[in-house]
Amino acid sequence: MDAIQLLNVTKTFGEKAAVDDVSLTVPEGAVYGFIGPNGSGKTTTMRMILNIIYPDRGSIRVFGQKLSGRASQIGYLPEERGLYRRMEVRPLLEFHGELRGGRNVTAEVNSWLARLDLAHCAGQKLETLSKGMSQKVQFIASIIPQPKLLILDEPFTGLDPVSAESIRAAILDLRRRGSTVILSTHDMNVAESLCDCIFMIFKGKKVLDGSLESIQQQYGNDTIRVEAEAGAPAMEGLPNVEKVRDLGQVQELRMALGCDTQQVLHALMSRTRIRSFAVSKPSLQDIFIRIAGSEAAAEAQNA
Amino acid sequence: MHKRILLVAKRDYLTAIKSKPFLFGLIVTPILAGSGFIGMAIVKAKPEIADRHIAVVDHTGITTKALMESVAAKNTKDIFDKTTGKQTSARCVIESVTPNEADPQAQLLALSDRVRRHEIFAFLEIGRDALHASEDANPEKLAPSFRVDYYSNSAGIDETRGWLSGPVNDAMRRTRLAQLGIDPGRFTEVLAPATMQSMSLLSRDPSTGKVQEARKRGELEGFIVPFAMMMLLAMMVLMSSAPMLGAVADDKQQRVFEMLLGSATPFELMMGKMIAAVALTMTSSILYVAASLFVLQSMAMMGMAPLSVLPWFFVYMVADVLVISSLAIAVGSACASPTDAQHLAMLVMAPTLIPLFLLAPIMQAPNGPMSTVMSFLPPFTPLIMLMRQAMPGGVPVWQPWVALIGVIAWTLAVTWAAARIFRIGILVQGKTAKISEMARWAVKG
Repeated sequence: MDAIQLLNVTKTFGEKAAVDDVSLTVPEGAVYGFIGPNGSGKTTTMRMILNIIYPDRGSIRVFGQKLSGRASQIGYLPEERGLYRRMEVRPLLEFHGELRGGRNVTAEVNSWLARLDLAHCAGQKLETLSKGMSQKVQFIASIIPQPKLLILDEPFTGLDPVSAESIRAAILDLRRRGSTVILSTHDMNVAESLCDCIFMIFKGKKVLDGSLESIQQQYGNDTIRVEAEAGAPAMEGLPNVEKVRDLGQVQELRMALGCDTQQVLHALMSRTRIRSFAVSKPSLQDIFIRIAGSEAAAEAQNA
Repeated sequence: MHKRILLVAKRDYLTAIKSKPFLFGLIVTPILAGSGFIGMAIVKAKPEIADRHIAVVDHTGITTKALMESVAAKNTKDIFDKTTGKQTSARCVIESVTPNEADPQAQLLALSDRVRRHEIFAFLEIGRDALHASEDANPEKLAPSFRVDYYSNSAGIDETRGWLSGPVNDAMRRTRLAQLGIDPGRFTEVLAPATMQSMSLLSRDPSTGKVQEARKRGELEGFIVPFAMMMLLAMMVLMSSAPMLGAVADDKQQRVFEMLLGSATPFELMMGKMIAAVALTMTSSILYVAASLFVLQSMAMMGMAPLSVLPWFFVYMVADVLVISSLAIAVGSACASPTDAQHLAMLVMAPTLIPLFLLAPIMQAPNGPMSTVMSFLPPFTPLIMLMRQAMPGGVPVWQPWVALIGVIAWTLAVTWAAARIFRIGILVQGKTAKISEMARWAVKG
């Protein structure tokens, strides 16, 4: 059974279509990455899946059912931090768990607090915790009791590498235990490494949907990654090169359709010493920028 | 659904009841509300009893003597507590000043300076014709020669003026009677005032059929009980509902609702908050009512307790808390920040504040057209009808029941509209909705 089915869903706010005729199928047990620049419609789509707001047109089914009222089987981690700051961590998590699950969740709370290294602050008020620790508490609040569908909006924001790794492991563990995960992120590396499928929405419209491999397949092997002694200046004005992306130690060249990569290699060797030269598929970051343009490029770089 | 509503209610209730502001308010609010009475009690406990010297410029030339006698009589009997014998108010000492007919202004200025130097407390100027009735009945247009003018430097309410009014009138009547040739030995008999005792109405005991006698009623009894009940109700409602405005706006700003909406519907969240407000109000009101009854019992004044109106007090309180808290939740959810919410606080509190502003005219004529009509307007029914019911005259039996129908309909309508505003408001970030927008959300959803 599919976890989520969106069929021709449209949502407008005033004159603006936040989500425009979007259809999407998320298979059960998948980790599905939602990407797109700010304001592209990711959060609106997620809120509609959660039944917090309703579509103007189209239909949404979660595990085959049209949602009415509260989405009890869905765990939700919003992008913004939204917990009662003056509550202590343990009562707070028990409140959220019981509110969604309708049962006592003390054992699960204790288990997750220990797992995410928060047991020592179970009695502390949330307002006394660091941003990263608060984020971990909020993550626990969204997964207790274990939901069939978990919607995570930017779950890694504000986390140090160690905490980020523990959240990543927890997400994969939840998937192994049967949860379907929707993950919104601006970090393309996270999307590439963690997600089974990618859904990109831009200006309310679906522009990408599928596995990373299938998406990259659409663009072909049009990318060359080069490490050269002279760096990016040596790449300027190369024949058949449409765009040079300077990543510092490595430069990414986007080739014109049907060009001979050997010619590019010869041209480069005549200018500088080449340390490495690899023809590859475009990265998700590159694809994102190609679609969303320069406006989103800065945002993606900063993610 | 009910479980989630109760869970939200429990969390909000426990958080509020453990909070310092609530505990502080529980103690301080009644103190503030009753600060006037407390002030009076303090003044009564430690009265100002230093002699007050009053200079009298008597242009009639014959009134001062009688005035001195009247003041002396009052000093003897009216400034001491009848039970303890302790002096409770200042003694007045009359100082006769010969009128300066050549330059009356200079004399009045000199006396004013003596008041400023605290040599005397005040001075009286008895007009030349004050003993004769004026042709002009309007006291405002009375010629100065027919008046008795009281000059003092006191700010606010000057009790001494009121205190002197009796002896001055008494002295003038005695002087007039003497001029008419009546035997001074009969003055007391002629001037003896009639005592008008305030009594409650007679009623028939419904169980025994016996006529229950009227009982003496204190001046304050008819005022204090309805006033206290109305103030208590207003205080309870404002204490539990008004803080919800800022709290909801704060939760919205902190994005708490967005997280909760994954687990509960907006309706469940709002109902939970309203139930918490009702529970909070019941907690404090039961405490206050129990404490009040205990105090009345210990003072052997249980007769003053409006026991027949108490059930109505709780019914009105629940309805009013539901209305005000739902308004607070709706408006709070439509605000971008707690600061913005505070700007709209008057809108939420209006149904409670308006009856308080109209307190004086309503108490003067509790069964007059204005009071009656106002008590049937659902937003004001809880406070005004309650006060009318608690007044000595009461209200016809049908009135509270008919008004209650309006209150229930109003409560349902406001809650319904508030739920629609709340559902949209909590998701709108970054700007505070205008009142017209809130109205549109309420109507169109």
